[in-house]
Amino acid sequence: MTRLDFEATSLELQQYRQSGERASERVAYLASRIIKDGYSAKLQDDIWPFYEQAVAAALDVGDFRLADECIENLKRRFSNSSRVQRLVGMRYEAEGKLAEAQKIYDAILEEDESNIVGVRVLVSKRQIALLKLRGLKSEAIAALVSYLDTYYSDAEAWIELCSLYLSVHAYQKAAYCLEELILLQAANPIWHLKYAEIMYTLGDYSLALKQYCRVIDLHEDHLRGMYGIQLCASKIMANGEADDTTKALKELATERILATEVDQCTIDSIKQVVREYLSVA
Amino acid sequence: MPSGVFARHFCTSLHLTMATLGEAKQMILDPAIRDWVLLPIMVVMLLVGVLRHHITVLITGTPKKPQLKAVRESKALMRGSQLRAFRNAIPPHAFSSRKAFLTEAYDQGKYLKNPNAPKEGVPAPNPMTDPDMMEGMMEGMKKQVTNMVPQMLIMGWINFFFQGFVVIKLPFPLTLRFKSMLQSGVDTRDMDVTWVSSLSWYFLNLFGLSSVFTLILGDNNAAGAGVNDMAAMGGMAGMASMATPGQPQDFNKIFMAEKENLMITSHDWELESIEEKVLRKYGKSTGITASKTPKSPEIKKELTVKDKIKAAQKAKKRS
Repeated sequence: MTRLDFEATSLELQQYRQSGERASERVAYLASRIIKDGYSAKLQDDIWPFYEQAVAAALDVGDFRLADECIENLKRRFSNSSRVQRLVGMRYEAEGKLAEAQKIYDAILEEDESNIVGVRVLVSKRQIALLKLRGLKSEAIAALVSYLDTYYSDAEAWIELCSLYLSVHAYQKAAYCLEELILLQAANPIWHLKYAEIMYTLGDYSLALKQYCRVIDLHEDHLRGMYGIQLCASKIMANGEADDTTKALKELATERILATEVDQCTIDSIKQVVREYLSVA
Repeated sequence: MPSGVFARHFCTSLHLTMATLGEAKQMILDPAIRDWVLLPIMVVMLLVGVLRHHITVLITGTPKKPQLKAVRESKALMRGSQLRAFRNAIPPHAFSSRKAFLTEAYDQGKYLKNPNAPKEGVPAPNPMTDPDMMEGMMEGMKKQVTNMVPQMLIMGWINFFFQGFVVIKLPFPLTLRFKSMLQSGVDTRDMDVTWVSSLSWYFLNLFGLSSVFTLILGDNNAAGAGVNDMAAMGGMAGMASMATPGQPQDFNKIFMAEKENLMITSHDWELESIEEKVLRKYGKSTGITASKTPKSPEIKKELTVKDKIKAAQKAKKRS
């Protein structure tokens, strides 16, 4: 076994912490090495975020011994911390004891409103994810709505809420979420694309067409956007409301779609998908 | 510790050395001064700094947590400005529904920290009665006291026992301007600038030890902070003025302003002529559309200005 380069390792772990990258296997490995080789004392004050990081990574890879060790250390130092309680909840989650985990999260959130906001955010997210995992969609939606009522600017929460609404076929509400997302990040073509698709599903073809055009405007030759334009335009033409612009758009979309170069690999994977779909159906 | 005795002994020894060697343009300090004045001052300041760091950590309670309601309040305000900034990205119906929702919410103070509080005509609450404010002020006071008291004690100690001591000679030459900085408390006109008096040694330590503290106690320590000390001393005079910037903002007023801003914003959908834009992008624009597009925005703009005035008048009438 080679000697562990402590400086480089701690730096790497710190970078993972800052970027939030979920390289759990690597982190768990490095963390276990640091603890095993007795470098933990050398981390000084960095030891606590290190333990927190190690717990999350260890739970991801199913290394309960490492996770327990870190949680114990954290508990010894911060006996009454909701941040540590959250890790205990995650431990339950990893074991599959969802009800227990739920209880812990609920307790943290109910405890007092003055909990440090950062921890509250993390716990709320875990709670919502857990509700979603347990299939309690309406509860998850309620929790997300109350979360967004406070943290309005969390774009990821909005897209999460949107997909939850979509899963219960509440298209109007999903569209509302996407409007918020467009307000928050107006230059992201994905939100426009999703909005267009929901509008298409709702049958508002002219608005969907406009949104698809926006996608093309933001992202040239976006294939899905072009396809959307083609579909919308043909729907509008079928309804007999088409003007010259729509026709021109349809022609353009058809042309661009046909001009798309697809390599053999993509075709094969598409064929594979279709074959699987057909065999199931 | 019979420091008084020591001090007197040092004084005499210093005078002796100055008297006997002064004429020879060479001054030698008694090594006892190094052992009993120079180093003790430094050590004492170092220890006091460390002690102060720990005391500050002890009496400074847990850092004040931002309250959930306060976060909600400010985010709600952000929501309004976000809507105004990117209003043209969403379709008209979406904008109008949001506008209606937000203006109503602002009007009724749904997002206020305490929506039931009386709204208009009430003067800003007295900071003394607000426990939050009180705590903040106390915190500041505590810090200042821990800053001031030990420094004053040390200074008094030095002034009492080592007044007029010359304690060290700097190994490099300096211009005459440094004299007042390096020889405070010693009124000699002819002494070389490189000699440092005890009081000046204290000040040099006060400012110079902060990096040593960083080394011992890590960053963000509460020990040295000589510069902060100075700021605190200056701030002592302006204690009264220090309380004012912490005044709580009246969010109700801000919300009302945001409401009015929202009321007068008009909506000019970006996607109105997006089809033509896309066609033009691919060089497919038809003659009809090309002649159509430039006209429409102009008419719209005129309309929007009128709308704005109308909306503003309406808002005025209501309030």
